[in-house]
Amino acid sequence: MGEVIVITSGKGGVGKTTTTANIGIGLSKRNKKTLVIDTDLGLRNLDVVLGLENRIVYNLVDVINGNCRLKQALISDSRYPELYLLPSAQTKDKSAVSPEQMRKLIAELREDFDFILLDCPAGIEQGFQNAIAGADKAIVVTTPEVSAIRDADRIIGLLEVNGIRDHSLVINRLRIDMVKRGDMMSVEDVTEILAVNLLGVIPDDEQVVIATNQGNPIVGESPKAGLAYEHICRRILGEEIPLMDFHHSESLLSKVSHLFKMN
Amino acid sequence: MSVPSVVIAKDRLKNLVTADRVHCTPDSIQLMSTEIYRTLSKYIELNPEDFQINFTHTDIHIHYINDRRKH
Repeated sequence: MGEVIVITSGKGGVGKTTTTANIGIGLSKRNKKTLVIDTDLGLRNLDVVLGLENRIVYNLVDVINGNCRLKQALISDSRYPELYLLPSAQTKDKSAVSPEQMRKLIAELREDFDFILLDCPAGIEQGFQNAIAGADKAIVVTTPEVSAIRDADRIIGLLEVNGIRDHSLVINRLRIDMVKRGDMMSVEDVTEILAVNLLGVIPDDEQVVIATNQGNPIVGESPKAGLAYEHICRRILGEEIPLMDFHHSESLLSKVSHLFKMN
Repeated sequence: MSVPSVVIAKDRLKNLVTADRVHCTPDSIQLMSTEIYRTLSKYIELNPEDFQINFTHTDIHIHYINDRRKH
């Protein structure tokens, strides 16, 4: 029976969808049968980040309404045989799906997968309630900014109220140079305020933008964000991997790029 | 020298998060803390610098160092 994880944040634009996509790909590369579900009704994005936008026939609302069989709506990815996507609908009606329907759907799906990842919409309204309805645990994504951390704290409170006490934090887009200058909160600053388990830290990496432009994954493909996502996947699978030493890796990276320039 | 912006960010964030957690304004948190301190100091030996209140989602933690333990 599979594990169901919701990826949430409260604030929009902090990297929920990118995180869902890359953890999904990372787990499937490790031979875990993984389903990623886009629960953002009206604004679907996960398909685009995965580069599967041209493959959509049926969506989550079709499945809920019985317009198609469950299997017909699942999109497989030829690059990753163990990865499946259940896309969201582009309908405007945000109440097309209820938490109870989501719970039923997840209960049915979890028999067939090792992992189900739910990409949650921004906000704390019905879309959030739908996304967390069937989840066992949560990954809360934040960036080291006041507004994002504040929203993450509210989300953590709401998860607890809804009985999801197994939650861990991903700090995204950390800029080591700014932390060193005292102009960005460090990992320690963030965890001191939020007091939750830390699952991983993704350094700011322009390769993420490039990969997203192309509809390609970043996990395992770049020495900064790619490696950080890979470590997150391995931690989810139970491996104990220490956090990257950013101060060290930064200097090492600049040394490596220096070497390349010399040649 | 100017204060690093992280110091300001952390300060603002701590106030915001605490206020959000107990659903009241940052000002009333300050008042509440002062009042709790006053009330406790009627019964316990307290020092303002050895007294701290933390608000989590489910608990209010009051930390203090008893003066007599220091001697």
